[in-house]
Amino acid sequence: MAIRYLDKYPKNLAKSLWVMKPTIVVLKLFIKNIFHRPVTVLYPYEKEWIPDNYRGRPGLRFDKCVGCGMCVRACPTACIKLIEVEDDNGKAVMRPQVNVGRCAMCGYCAEYCPVDAMTVTPEYELAEYSRYDLLYGPRRLHYEGTTEGMEVKCEVTLPSDIANGNPERRVSLFDLDRPELIDKKCIGCKKCAKVCPVNAIEMVEKGVNDKGRPILRPVIDNVKCISCRNCVIDCPKDALEIKEVL
Amino acid sequence: MGELLDWINFGSDPMANAYYPFDSYNLPFDIGYQLWEILGGTIAWLIDLIFPGNSVSTWLMCDAVSTLLALVVFMLLIFLVAFVSTLIVLWEERKCLGRMMDRRGTMVGMKGFLQCVADGLKTFQKENVVPAKVDKMTYMWTVSLVIGVSVLVLCMVPLSSRWFVVDYDTGLLIIMAFFALAPFFILVSGWAQNNKYSLIGGMRAAELMISYEVPMLILICTTALMAGSFNINDIVYAQADSVWYIVPQILGAITFFTCAVAEAERVPFDIAEAEAELVEGWQTEYAGMKWGLVMLADYMRGSVSCSMFVILYLGGWTLPFIGDGPIPEIVFLLKAYVVFFFMSLIRAATGRVRTDQILNLGWKVFMPLSVFNLVIVLLLMTGGVI
Amino acid sequence: MSDSIVPVKEIEEKMDTDKMWVIMGPQHPFSHGLWTLKVQLDGEIVTDAEPIVGYLHRGWEKETESREYPKIIPMADRLCYCASMTYTHLYCMTVEKALGIDIPEKAKYIRMVADEVCRIQSHLMWLAAVGTDLGSYTVFLWSMREREFFLDLNVKLCGARMTTNYPRIGGVRNDTTELFDRDILRAVDRFEKALWDIIALIDDSSIFVSRMKGISFINRETAANIGLTGPAMRGCGVDFDIRRDDPYDNYDKVDFEVPVLKAGDSYSRYMIRIEEMFQSCEIIRQGVAKIKALGKNAPYRVKTPSKVPAGTAFARLEDPRGESLMYLVADGTDRPYRLKVRSPIFTNVSSARLQSVGVRIADVPAVLAQIDMCLGETDR
Repeated sequence: MAIRYLDKYPKNLAKSLWVMKPTIVVLKLFIKNIFHRPVTVLYPYEKEWIPDNYRGRPGLRFDKCVGCGMCVRACPTACIKLIEVEDDNGKAVMRPQVNVGRCAMCGYCAEYCPVDAMTVTPEYELAEYSRYDLLYGPRRLHYEGTTEGMEVKCEVTLPSDIANGNPERRVSLFDLDRPELIDKKCIGCKKCAKVCPVNAIEMVEKGVNDKGRPILRPVIDNVKCISCRNCVIDCPKDALEIKEVL
Repeated sequence: MGELLDWINFGSDPMANAYYPFDSYNLPFDIGYQLWEILGGTIAWLIDLIFPGNSVSTWLMCDAVSTLLALVVFMLLIFLVAFVSTLIVLWEERKCLGRMMDRRGTMVGMKGFLQCVADGLKTFQKENVVPAKVDKMTYMWTVSLVIGVSVLVLCMVPLSSRWFVVDYDTGLLIIMAFFALAPFFILVSGWAQNNKYSLIGGMRAAELMISYEVPMLILICTTALMAGSFNINDIVYAQADSVWYIVPQILGAITFFTCAVAEAERVPFDIAEAEAELVEGWQTEYAGMKWGLVMLADYMRGSVSCSMFVILYLGGWTLPFIGDGPIPEIVFLLKAYVVFFFMSLIRAATGRVRTDQILNLGWKVFMPLSVFNLVIVLLLMTGGVI
Repeated sequence: MSDSIVPVKEIEEKMDTDKMWVIMGPQHPFSHGLWTLKVQLDGEIVTDAEPIVGYLHRGWEKETESREYPKIIPMADRLCYCASMTYTHLYCMTVEKALGIDIPEKAKYIRMVADEVCRIQSHLMWLAAVGTDLGSYTVFLWSMREREFFLDLNVKLCGARMTTNYPRIGGVRNDTTELFDRDILRAVDRFEKALWDIIALIDDSSIFVSRMKGISFINRETAANIGLTGPAMRGCGVDFDIRRDDPYDNYDKVDFEVPVLKAGDSYSRYMIRIEEMFQSCEIIRQGVAKIKALGKNAPYRVKTPSKVPAGTAFARLEDPRGESLMYLVADGTDRPYRLKVRSPIFTNVSSARLQSVGVRIADVPAVLAQIDMCLGETDR
């Protein structure tokens, strides 16, 4: 490619003793702006068009959420917290609450939500009178008019697929990794089954131990599992670990 | 009510008054005189109503007193007109600069004109901060003088042959003398503020002054030479009789325009308040209303610069083939606004020069140009062209 | 007789004329960000200068050690507000090197195009700063206006204007949006026209040129020795650009020129940056064509393991301001053991004394604007 600006400049300084050309350039714009409007957008009255994937405050679709806590762990500013609320049937469930005052609008919560319940919303006018008002509860996080584009998909291609010559295949990050049991470490405490948000873990009896008590081992339903790692984190003996598919 | 109308002799000729302070007809004094006739007549009638037959009422309406009090009204009137025209200049610059920079300029009320009023109100409400370690007396006095001199020189500019304050034969020189006074106060003020930025700014104001003042005076003298008088009226009508002096003195007009920009301390010659390196230059320590008035004074000086250009080169309040016209004051102000538009244009198109550059420019470019301009005028005059 | 005539020099000595230290910053219109320049003045001429940085130190490097790898990406955005994507890109490159993985072609091209968009943004920010430092508000506003169109491109691509959070370890966050090709080409075409206007405002004006030309010379050897990088170095005659000489991503597959000027003054450093904007436009055009050629379904993000194997890795890239480098020490966990950032400005600002001694105080902002300060990355 050719050098484009340095070929023309610097011009002879004696010639540029003038300020004529800049004046004419400015005058041109002035005359243009008499008939057209300037580029200014009168903000509070007019607003710029923003795309669907605009990252404003996080939004939540209450019914879709399973309360897995992926958003809590993915949040780099630790502004999300799971709180207990009543759902439509009056049952107590865990749902995220966002402190928008700390939110960095990075969109990680939407990206890492395995069920696409967390979305980004194009809402960016978030000023409030007190810090308490900045706490967005699960119901308040609801955004009217959530569209497909606001769900941030976390699509990845597996390196192994590319190596196999099938590079176009894209899958969600949460369809791949599944927890795997290390049988030796497991004590059968049922904690994983309790923390699993989608009830993908079932405790199955696998024989009897020396004292005659049943040996319980978790069995993971790979279809139901959303790869949220709750069981891995809460396992007291580190008996579960995520097997990463690469 | 008949009694009231006896006291008010509205429509009386002020020039018939024995104490009439001017040599020729003066419109603002006439307006002031009539206003005072109404106001003073009413007061005199009221006093007479309460204390019938007293001497105060007759004293109020006697020639000497009514002239004196009409002068007060006249002064207010002159100042108000000058002030409003300055505000219009301010508004014009804001709007034009905005369009040149691809933005909208001020937006508050009346196409943005009320923004000036809002700014004034805002600065009025601010606390009067005087820094602890300034030299308080000079600090206050110099800024008052800078503002005062600017207001004075603004009021001294005649808007037409009937709208003036003084009609001296040396009117031009007096205006220029007052105009050139401010940099001295700026220098002292820069020292008084006990601030390094202000000090450098004050020094720069002095530096700037010695670079443009001499060519500017030469140019004024050239024009006076052409017109044969220092009287502004004579200069204007000399141009109306022949041609606008911008035609023979095009070099001089350009030079004067540049010097006038420097005189008003506007971009590209705003080195005394170069905000990039000197924060706010010599105004650094002034806050609140003082700063607001200093800014207003800047625009007043800009307005005066434009008026001087109009008087010297654009035929003042006269129009070619028409002469004075019905409202010469409006013609004059419109011309001044056009000149000010070009000042805004220059401001939008250029940056700030350096101190050594303005000195070089003043002595190596403006000075020879103005002398050359003088030579051209002399040749034209000896050749009998003009 | 001889007693009555006092030599001028002696008078000057008796007058006790002190040199004056003026402290410009940290809150000063000329310091774009929080930093201080102490200058010693003799009248108006600068005789000594000392830059002071560190007001914005946030412990960035330490902070990264307590975070998982993906969570550092939004933080890397905050290193530099003018060209946020370059640091995120650099961080992802470093981790990818440590992981030893290769990212898809499409991601490389998208990152390259996004990088060049950021370069133009950053250079426009710098141009705006030069405008105000030289006293022209018009240049400031026109540059900012052009920058706005590129920020809009950012919004279309990744949903945020400045803190883009777009590159990911192993690719980019999302594919290019539907009309991105059209929008970016329009923006570039429009920008080139507008840039000629801004150039006409500066380069055809004797005021700007005379204020930048012939001041604050740095010669080739000094520039290399004190570690200047980027446009500042290329303006001094050192012909080095990482994009060309140590190509990362796909810079070796596009065709562009690296402008070099030998003059070494303030003006040449200015001209290098302007030319770089034109070259960036060329790179964007070629990159967009390549992205289009790759098709819609090409992969743009590969899956990466969450834990980085123990070892070290470093990557460097050509930031708009110079050479930035990240050095990662991984210890096998999902958090870095140490992450070191080499910021180009931190080195370039050390030349402030070299650049400003001998110039007038009026030129100090104009000269130091050519460093293109960005405090986020300098103080980290």
